[in-house]
Amino acid sequence: MEKQLIISVGREYGSGGHEIADRLSKHYGIQLLDHNLLDEIAAEKNLDMQHLRGLDEKHRSRLASRTVRGYSSSPEENLYLLQFDYLKNKAASGESFVIVGRCSETILKEYDSLISIFVLGDRDRKIERIMRLYELSREQAVWKIREKDMKRRRYHNGHCDRKWGDSRNYDISINSSKLGIEGTTALLADYIDKRQYDSYH
Amino acid sequence: MLAQVFAVIIFIAMFVFIVTEIVERHIVSLVCAMLTVILVFGVGMHSMTAVIETINLKSIFTAGFWYLSGEAGESSAGINWETILFIFGMMVMVEGMARVGFFRWLCMRIAKLVRYQVIPLFVTFMVLSTVLAMFIDSITVILFLAAVTIELSQLLKFNPVPMILSEIFCANLGGSATMCGDPPNIIIGTSLGYSFTDFVTNTGLIAGISLIAVLVYFYLIFGRELKASAAEVIDYDSLPSPESTITDKKGFIVSSVIFAVAIVLLVTHAQTGLTVSTIGMIVAVATLASSWKYAAALLRKVDYKTLLFFIGLFVVIGGLEQTGILEIMAAFIGRISGGNVMVMIAIIIWLSAVASAFVDNIPFATTMIPIIKSLSAAYGVDLSMLAWTLAMGTDIGGSATPIGASANVVGIATAAREGYVIKWGQYCKKMMPATVIVVLLSMVIIYVRYL
Repeated sequence: MEKQLIISVGREYGSGGHEIADRLSKHYGIQLLDHNLLDEIAAEKNLDMQHLRGLDEKHRSRLASRTVRGYSSSPEENLYLLQFDYLKNKAASGESFVIVGRCSETILKEYDSLISIFVLGDRDRKIERIMRLYELSREQAVWKIREKDMKRRRYHNGHCDRKWGDSRNYDISINSSKLGIEGTTALLADYIDKRQYDSYH
Repeated sequence: MLAQVFAVIIFIAMFVFIVTEIVERHIVSLVCAMLTVILVFGVGMHSMTAVIETINLKSIFTAGFWYLSGEAGESSAGINWETILFIFGMMVMVEGMARVGFFRWLCMRIAKLVRYQVIPLFVTFMVLSTVLAMFIDSITVILFLAAVTIELSQLLKFNPVPMILSEIFCANLGGSATMCGDPPNIIIGTSLGYSFTDFVTNTGLIAGISLIAVLVYFYLIFGRELKASAAEVIDYDSLPSPESTITDKKGFIVSSVIFAVAIVLLVTHAQTGLTVSTIGMIVAVATLASSWKYAAALLRKVDYKTLLFFIGLFVVIGGLEQTGILEIMAAFIGRISGGNVMVMIAIIIWLSAVASAFVDNIPFATTMIPIIKSLSAAYGVDLSMLAWTLAMGTDIGGSATPIGASANVVGIATAAREGYVIKWGQYCKKMMPATVIVVLLSMVIIYVRYL
């Protein structure tokens, strides 16, 4: 039986973390879970969850939600719990996968097969990338990066004790601007292979 | 003046912290209670008497706290220990009933009675939600009803969301029908000296008429969807039998008897003279004694945070009361209404409904009780009529939004765990019109019956 491998990739917006996660999933031939996590849950439960897309990786609004005896009315919080349960079950079933964001480095911490990565980047390189990918002006790209990172930080820090992007929270934090997407992926694959090898021997 | 300023600031701060949930609400209310004692009663009023009156411990040691020989009496200002003890007792009883599988059995029994047909199930579960919520807290009602609804929806292939939303509304509606249904009613009843019968014959009647309107409303908006989604062929073998849900047969019988006794005692408490605190203690002791092996576990399950929240809340409201702030607010409402009773009722019911749709209805109702007392005294308006108005506004208003009442939160969260995440828009689109219909209906009934 093949050894389980779970790769969690946290990322700054514009750092190319998602692309790196995609390349790692192809490299190891394992499933990539990102925004499609919602589709996976929907398929499993035989439900249509398209209307919940806007709530993915968002933190609950304190004013628009309420908690009673541990139950929450927040759709964002409830979606997080659904994803939390799904990831826990998937990891417990022994499956290998790459998961992008969604507090996965904390949720799946108990699994020895977990390798947690945080991808960051230089500000200018991130702005350039976002301008290129979405055909935005520099100002628009700066604004988008700030907004997306703020949302990810709020979401993460609202559910986890450790802070988003804090290097102590991940096995490895890497600046993708230094080696580029390809170089960073190769370095991470080396690291993962070494970890896999070490855990075998 | 200084005491009044402190009291208002503490009260507003308490509301802000409760709404934002930065800290758990029982901690907020207890800290605010401590600040009220120090700043309002100590620094502002230099009054030890105010502290003693608000803590109100001596009331427990009076005969009237446990037994009333004549007419039901009003409880003095401050911590309403009668409410606290009653809620504690009911919590113990409900935990005892849940342990033996009573609620799941009841839901499954009714489902079987209507042969698992979706529309009859939809209607009977709404009625069941209303009736159960008349006697036990709406959180427990929805916790079990929503879970069974989801279980049945998976077996019978229908969308559980319409049914859960209707059940939530009916649980809040049922809570308004009796003195013990919803915490605001318990507080109103014990503070103003009304009995179970007083509530049933007044708010109960309004709730009963409203239930008919609500059944029609929900059938019209959900009926077709439910009928269309339900499976045509039912595999009865896959459905759990009601008996299989009972975890302890002997305990089940005892719990059912205790529940029946509780209902009888509540219905007759104006005649027997037993106060709700006594009834609460009787059912708690009976539950613990009959299942002494599980007594510690049952006591651990009691929601002490809510009880502590109540204690803190009563002290903070006591601060507003002792400093005369609530009289000022009452005078303000009186001025706006120009002393016109119809306008006064409209203001109280809609203000209560709108406020309860967004903030916890318990602190709101607790604040409003001294206000309606002042209004009644100042303008010669019948206090009981204002009490029923307040009860209907606070109990029903909570249904309008996902955050308005505890039952809404529990129902939404239970559905979400199975993948049915309910968003604000989706919730309000169906529940707000129902809330407006019932509040409007309540107002009209109050006008017609009492004016």
